[in-house]
Amino acid sequence: MTRLPFRTRAAHVFQREVGRLFSIVWVLPIVFILRVVMGYHVRDVAQVRTRYRALVKESDRPLLICPNHLTMMDSAVIAWALGGSWWYLFHYSRIPWNLPEYNNYASRWPTRVGAWLTKCIPVIRGGRREDVSRVIKRVQHLLSKGETALIFPEARRSRSGRVESDSVAHAVGRILTSVPGCRPLCVYLRGDRQDTWSTVPARGDSFYIDFELIKPQSDHRGMRRSRDFSQQIVDRLIGMEEEYFARR
Amino acid sequence: MTRDEIFAKVVEIVKPYVKNEDALEAVADDTNILEDLKVNSARLVDIILNFEDEFDIEVEDEDADAVNTVGDAVRLIQEKLS
Repeated sequence: MTRLPFRTRAAHVFQREVGRLFSIVWVLPIVFILRVVMGYHVRDVAQVRTRYRALVKESDRPLLICPNHLTMMDSAVIAWALGGSWWYLFHYSRIPWNLPEYNNYASRWPTRVGAWLTKCIPVIRGGRREDVSRVIKRVQHLLSKGETALIFPEARRSRSGRVESDSVAHAVGRILTSVPGCRPLCVYLRGDRQDTWSTVPARGDSFYIDFELIKPQSDHRGMRRSRDFSQQIVDRLIGMEEEYFARR
Repeated sequence: MTRDEIFAKVVEIVKPYVKNEDALEAVADDTNILEDLKVNSARLVDIILNFEDEFDIEVEDEDADAVNTVGDAVRLIQEKLS
């Protein structure tokens, strides 16, 4: 794993600590918006959080959250569903770092500040490989420091409304192969009224969430190994989706 | 294998992923694979894995970061073969 320049490492510490300082000002309002303004509800939330907290407690190895992707609010809903607002205030490193598409929020300074405060690292999808690589190295660094990160293995919201096996982001596998001990947590999230992809879930929607730690395997090295890891994560998400629809 | 032969094979490998056929007709060393040929960024990994198979080389993720143009790909393959 490449060591980041001092300036970048210092910038991470600064971003994290300012975010932590102001966490009560942004964590609770976000949860208020999700619960009260949007009226969202997570099924069996107490059970989900108990499982997640036990998983976090059993090992301090880095955790890479790898969810399916249907709406632009997925990462917020997943973080809320897994941890809960008060728990995050005391376990700040467990609020996942996110990689939002820069062009989705960069046009106005309040959203830029908001994204910075809420542990976001901007990425330009399909951008220059060096730039994307720099972002990946930042995530690798953060994970190696015990932080949690969230990356969508499909790279974009699923246009079919189902997990797409041919839309696999190589970055997920690359991170997993380069951060010693990093654990991929496959997360399947879906609102009952979420038939296909959208900007935000329907108001008042009720979410199903399930998660599973997996151990990707590969006999290969280099990029092929990373690709195998990414593919296995997407394959597991497809399996979780099948289980969801079978139960529905 | 000569540089021209590597170049021709690289173009052949990239061809199925190209969305801008016009740019492919005028392909040169400085043709950007993503921006000019309009190859989907996720497919770039498949292209590099095809290079591995075709040239019997192994490419690390960090090597692949340097591949932006067709010329970069040819250079990387030449380095791996030497």
